[in-house]
Amino acid sequence: MNSMWTVMSFTMRNKLRSKSFLITTIILAVLLVVGANVPYFIDKFTSGGSATKVGYITDEPGDLIKGLETYFGKQEKPQVQLVPIEAAGSAEADAAVLKQAIEDKTITGYLSFVTNDQAGFPDVTYHSKKMLDTDTSQALQAALQEVKTNQAVQDAKLTKEQLQKLFSPVKLNSVQISDSANGKTAEEQGTAIGLTYAIIILLFMAVMITGQLIATEITAEKSSRVMEIIVTSVSPLKQMFGKVLGTFIVGLVQLVVLVGATVVNLSLPHNADSFKNLGIRLDTIDPKMLIFAVVLYLLGYFLYAMLFAAIGSIVSRTEDLGQAVMPVTMLTLAGFYIAIFGLSHPDSPFIVACSYIPFFSPFILFLRIGLANPAWWEIALSVGILLVSVLVIGWLAAKIYRVGVLMYGKKPSFKEVFKAMKAYKV
Amino acid sequence: MNPLVVNRVMKQYGDKTAVNGLSFEVGAGEIYGLLGANGAGKTTTMRMVLGLIMPDGGEIRYNGKPYGEEQLRMLGYLPEERGMYPKVKLSEQIVYLAQLRGMSRKDAEANLRRWLDRFQVPEYYDKKVEELSKGNQQKIQFIAAVIHRPQIVILDEAFSGLDPVNVELLKTTVKELRDEGTSILFSTHRMEHVEELCRNITIMHKSNPVLQGPIREIKSRFPREKVVLSAEAPIQGLESIPGVQGVTRTEQGYLLQIARAETAQDILKHALAQGPIQKFELLEPTLNEIFIRTVGERHE
Repeated sequence: MNSMWTVMSFTMRNKLRSKSFLITTIILAVLLVVGANVPYFIDKFTSGGSATKVGYITDEPGDLIKGLETYFGKQEKPQVQLVPIEAAGSAEADAAVLKQAIEDKTITGYLSFVTNDQAGFPDVTYHSKKMLDTDTSQALQAALQEVKTNQAVQDAKLTKEQLQKLFSPVKLNSVQISDSANGKTAEEQGTAIGLTYAIIILLFMAVMITGQLIATEITAEKSSRVMEIIVTSVSPLKQMFGKVLGTFIVGLVQLVVLVGATVVNLSLPHNADSFKNLGIRLDTIDPKMLIFAVVLYLLGYFLYAMLFAAIGSIVSRTEDLGQAVMPVTMLTLAGFYIAIFGLSHPDSPFIVACSYIPFFSPFILFLRIGLANPAWWEIALSVGILLVSVLVIGWLAAKIYRVGVLMYGKKPSFKEVFKAMKAYKV
Repeated sequence: MNPLVVNRVMKQYGDKTAVNGLSFEVGAGEIYGLLGANGAGKTTTMRMVLGLIMPDGGEIRYNGKPYGEEQLRMLGYLPEERGMYPKVKLSEQIVYLAQLRGMSRKDAEANLRRWLDRFQVPEYYDKKVEELSKGNQQKIQFIAAVIHRPQIVILDEAFSGLDPVNVELLKTTVKELRDEGTSILFSTHRMEHVEELCRNITIMHKSNPVLQGPIREIKSRFPREKVVLSAEAPIQGLESIPGVQGVTRTEQGYLLQIARAETAQDILKHALAQGPIQKFELLEPTLNEIFIRTVGERHE
C-alpha cells in the first residue's frame, strides 16, 4: 500500500509540474472560457448591430413601403431601415443611382419591384453585394409576408376579433413523459441535451488524454529501461495501479480546472441571458445526471486506463505505441460517435443494446439517462456489467503488465504474451 | 546461513531450457562471479534471484526465507541495460527509487548526498539525468542500486562503458561494500575484474553450470602451460626441447607453450646453460583462458 502511494505521488508530482501539462491545461482553459462566452458575443453582435440600410425608389407602390415601415417601426431593434432614393426617370437610370448609393455606402442593398397581377402582389427582389445575406432577406421576407397578409385581411374586411383569432399563435407545449411526477419541460430538455453533449465530450477527452498519458509513460519507462529497476523494487501490480491512480488524480485536477473555468464563466450574469435565449438554464440541471456523470466517468476511466496500461506495457518503443493503442482508440471513438448519433435517437434499439456493452456504456448509458429516462434496473444492469468488466479487465491488465514490462524487442503478439504469462506463472 | 542460497533452480521458456539445475551460495561479505557467454542464462538467473520470474524448479532463499515482499527491500540491482528517467531531476528519482524500497525520504536524501560527495559530484543533485555524460549516468545508476543499503546486491556488467579511472573508483566502492558485509552477485565479461574481486565463481554455458568453485581451486585444476623467459642474450634451440609446443618471441624475451609442467624445468636448464637469466616464470592459467577453454571447447 505504502509503495503504491509512492508511485502515485511520484507520477502526480512529475506530471503536475511538467511544462507540457501546464501549457495544455492553460490553453484548454482559455479555449473553454472563450467558448463559454461565445453565445454572449453572438448575441451582442447580431442584435447590437445597426439596422441594414435598404434603398428603394420613391415612386414604388406606396402601400407596400408604408406597410414595411410600420412593420420595422414596431420592432425593438429594427433589422432593416428603409432609405428612399429619388427616382431618376428610366429603370436603367434608377438602377444606376441605386448602385451608386451602394458604392457610396449610403445603403447596403436595394429593393426592386415587378408587378405580378396573378399573385396580386408585386415580385420583390433584394439586390445586395453581399452573398447569402440571409438575415436581411429573412427579415424582408417576414415583413413582406405580413404586409401581404394585412392587405389580404383588409380586403376580406374581417372584424378585429376575427383578426386577433387569426393572428394569435398556436400554443404547443412539449413535456417529456417520465416515471417521476414532473416530466422535463422543453427548457429542461434543452438543458439536458446540452449537458449530455458536453459531458460525453468531456468523458471522451478525459479517457483519451489520460489513457494515452498512461500508455506513453509506461512505454517511456520501458524504453528508458528504468522499468527494470522499478519492477525489482515494487510489485508490478502496485506499480500499475499506482500509476493509474496517480494519472487519474492528474486528469481530475485538469478536469476540475477546465470545468470550473467553464462553469464560472457560464454563470456570469451577462451569460445568463444569452443562455436563456438558447433555451438552456443551468439551474434546471438534474442532480441525478451529475451523479451518474461522475460514476460513469470513474468506471469509464478505469476501464480504459487499465487497457491503455496493459498495451503500454507490451510495447518497448514509443514509436510503436500509436499503432498498438489503435484498437482501443477505435473503441473509444466508436463509443463516442454512437453516443453523438444517439443524441437524436436515444430510444432506438441499437442505442439501448449498446448501453450494455462495457466499452460503450460509459458514453451511451449516460446519454440514455440524460435523454431517455431508462428504468432503474436497466441502469443497474448496465452499471453492473461495466463494474464487472472493470474488475476483469483490471485483473487481465495486471497479468499482461506483469509479463509485458519485461518483454523487449519487437511488439509481441497475443499468443506470445499468453505463452509468456504461462511461463512466468502469473 | 548464507544470505543468498540458490538451490538447483530450473527455468524453461516453452521447450527451451534457460537455466538448468543451478546451485550456488553467496556469503556475507562475498563477491560471487557469475560468468558465461551471451545467452548462457545469466540474466535469467539474476531475474530469478530478483523475483521477477519464478523458477520452474528448485528454490532461492534469502537469509533462509523464501521470496516475499520484505525480501525485495534488501535487494539492490544494477541492470545491464542502464536506464533512468531522462527528464526528471536526479535527486527526485533516486529518492523515489529508495522510497520504493522502504527508505524514508529524509534518509534517502541524506544518503544520496553522501554518495554524490563520495563520487565527487555533489553538484549533480539538482541536475537532470539527460544532462550527464554516459559514464556519470553509470555512477548515478550504481548509487540507485545501493542507496537503500541492500544486503544483497546484483551487479550486471557493473563496469561496462566506464573509463579506467572510474572503473577503479567503482571497484573500490564495490570492495568497500563487500567489506561492510554485503553479498554481491557479480556478472561481467571482463575476466580480470573477476580475478580481482571474486572468491567463488560459476561459469555457465548453454544454461548449464559447467565450472564452479573458488577461483584458486579452479585454476589449480588447469595445468600450467605457459613459461615466460627472458635473458640477456638470445637463447638458441628452445624449440628442440622435448615437450615444448610453441615459442613466441616477444619484446622482453620468449613465451613458450608447453604440454606438461615438468618441461618448464628442462627449459630453465637449457636456458641457464647459455647464459644468465633475467626472468623465468611458470604462468598459471588466466581466468580468461579457462573461460575460453571451458566455453569455447563446448562450442565445437
